[in-house]
Amino acid sequence: MLTTAAPLVFVVDDNPSVRTSLGRLLAAAGYAVELFESAREFLAREPAEGPCCVVLDVRMPGLTGIELQEALVTAGRRMSIVFVTGHVDVPTSVKAMRDGAVDLLMKPVAREEILASIARALARDTESLRRHSRIAAIRQRVETLTPREIQVFALVVTGRLNKQIGTELGVGEKTIKVHRARVMDKMQAGSLAELVRLADAVGVVVPGSVTS
Amino acid sequence: MLKERLRFETLLSELSAGLIHVPAGSIDAALERALQQVVTFLGVDRGTVDVEQEGGRGVRIAWALPGLGESPHVMDAEQFPWTAKQLGRGDIVCFSQVDELPAEAATDRTSYERMATHSKVALPLSAGGPMLGVLSFGSVRSPRAWPAELVERLRLLSEAFASTLERKRVELSLAERLRFEKLLSSLSTTFSHLSAGDFNREVQHALHRVVDFLGVARGSLIEFSRDGGTAHSWAIEEWMDVGEFPWMTARLQHGDVVSFSALETLPDEAAVDRQSYRAHRVKPQMAMPLMAGGTVVGGLVFSTGEAERPQSDELVLMQQLHLLGEVFANALSRKQGELETQRLRQELTHIGRVSAMGELTASLAHELKQPLSAILYNAETAQDLLAADAVDLEAVREILSDIVADDKRATAVIERLRILIKKGDLEFAPLDVNEIVGEVAWLVKSDVLIRNVSMSLELAPDLPSVLGDRVQLQQVVLNLVQNGLEALRPPSAGPRTLVIRTARDGAAAVTVAVQDSGTGIDEKDMERIFEPLYTTKADGLGMGLAIVRTIVDAHDGRLRAANNEHGGATVHFTLPVERKDAC
Repeated sequence: MLTTAAPLVFVVDDNPSVRTSLGRLLAAAGYAVELFESAREFLAREPAEGPCCVVLDVRMPGLTGIELQEALVTAGRRMSIVFVTGHVDVPTSVKAMRDGAVDLLMKPVAREEILASIARALARDTESLRRHSRIAAIRQRVETLTPREIQVFALVVTGRLNKQIGTELGVGEKTIKVHRARVMDKMQAGSLAELVRLADAVGVVVPGSVTS
Repeated sequence: MLKERLRFETLLSELSAGLIHVPAGSIDAALERALQQVVTFLGVDRGTVDVEQEGGRGVRIAWALPGLGESPHVMDAEQFPWTAKQLGRGDIVCFSQVDELPAEAATDRTSYERMATHSKVALPLSAGGPMLGVLSFGSVRSPRAWPAELVERLRLLSEAFASTLERKRVELSLAERLRFEKLLSSLSTTFSHLSAGDFNREVQHALHRVVDFLGVARGSLIEFSRDGGTAHSWAIEEWMDVGEFPWMTARLQHGDVVSFSALETLPDEAAVDRQSYRAHRVKPQMAMPLMAGGTVVGGLVFSTGEAERPQSDELVLMQQLHLLGEVFANALSRKQGELETQRLRQELTHIGRVSAMGELTASLAHELKQPLSAILYNAETAQDLLAADAVDLEAVREILSDIVADDKRATAVIERLRILIKKGDLEFAPLDVNEIVGEVAWLVKSDVLIRNVSMSLELAPDLPSVLGDRVQLQQVVLNLVQNGLEALRPPSAGPRTLVIRTARDGAAAVTVAVQDSGTGIDEKDMERIFEPLYTTKADGLGMGLAIVRTIVDAHDGRLRAANNEHGGATVHFTLPVERKDAC
């Protein structure tokens, strides 16, 4: 489902001048903008549904930008971060990038530069949003499978033949063939290869299964 | 006749008794009155006291009938060789008519005749020592006899006159000595309390007093710099440019006294000097090298203008100049010492300020980048808005006013930075301590935030102002805050708080306290923390608190540190309140 709403950009900066001016710049560039004066205030906001990213000041009183990033990673929240800082030191930069920041920009930042970074951050977020929603959809299909079908599904994607699966589960080859057709149908997979990709995406494993 | 003698007797004894009690300053007038009474009594025409003075120039006290001209001095050996000789031997010269003079007094006779002197009696004035002068009475209108008894009475009068003159001489020289002592001690007092800032004014003032005392026309103080050149000179009447007097300057630097009473006596190598002296109409001069610690630090020069100075005074003058020279030499070396100390102190403060700056650079750069960031965002947004088909002028206007505000913020940051690193002289002005604390708090704001310290100000309202140097006192507060922040560095446990407090301390002082919740000061360090180069920090210079002490001392303030009851330490400094009555 496509939304026509503008992508959302969060700005977290303790300095009112910087916050306001950046917000103004982004609004003029066509983004929906939300401003926050501290990391804590931002954390209190419920996670956004649609594509979004955050422009984050590194040095802030209370929780710093880096600490906020850490908190987001720990909570498993999806967030594309563009860091902005007045003072670059190597350890901070390394940590920020390793933890998945899109960019780390030096203040003062030119309009083209910040817009390019934001575009990249949003693209990455859109991509990860797409991945997230695809996985959610596959999970939904998996949930429609019966326990027996899940067993069959798990063994099929390891490349075993119906006969082998039947032997393993102590069922006849014909029965396995029926289950298999149902799995293909419920998972909306057109081929074995496609089914394998779906399994990969959600990581289906059968507890106690033996791989050869 | 007897009655008349008795009257004369009475007059003489009254005069003699009266002269004993006359104060030294009124002696001349008293002698003149006495002469008038004697002249009137004797019916002669003129009475004179010629006072001899060292150097040959005399002072005359005289009384004569109206209409009579000045009479020449009988000690003038050219006109009165015989008379002068007699008097010089202690003999009285006395004649009723010039004919009575002996053959060898032919010259004297001619002189007396030319002056139309009929009769004369001249008595040497002596109070047991050398001749002080001559007392003489003369008659021009008619001859007059000088009976032996009368001469004997006049001799008694001459003794009274002589002792009075002697008393005057002694008292005056004593008074002069006292006056000199007073001048000397007052100058030394002035100079010993002299700060470098007042030096020029006080030296001018001192030179004026010395010139007045010595009765000379001009005075100069020259200061030589350590490399042998002239550093500075102070002069009355702006005449002493040492460049014009190379010979004298060289002699002084060599430690010699330069003294002359006539330009002709100067040696050939002083040709340039001679020309300058002539141009400045200087005649006699005395120049004295000023010694301190074995080196010549300067010179003291006095000279008279047109008037020739009597040679005989030179010895006394030399002695006085020597003593004055010592006072001025002390003043110069004190000043040089003080300037050196002041320079070191400023250097120290500057070092402290720069190193404190180093620690603050990061946060100040941050402070500056904020408005610059905002300006750039706003300016580019404005360009963006202006490129649209329908320009939102209201939005652009708003942006421009924000840009102006941020530009001012950036300027303020730079201005504060500039003031902080400025290496200037002390400028004392009435200051509001709360304002200073507020400014420093602003300056360290971001540093405090980054260190996650909670800083609070507890400022007493309506504090009286103190007299101080704004930048230096900011430095004091800054160093103490920096120190407090250092104490709150991890791994210090508990809440990290810093409190800056101001309060009155009695009626005459204001106190500023910087309190931290850190680890406190080890008792063994307590004594030494204000010493230079003493530090308990691994990366500290040990200058911060030493600078604080230097500055607080320079403001007549007090400084102390103590551990708090519940952890951490507090450093207080107390400054005297500006005294409104002080001028």
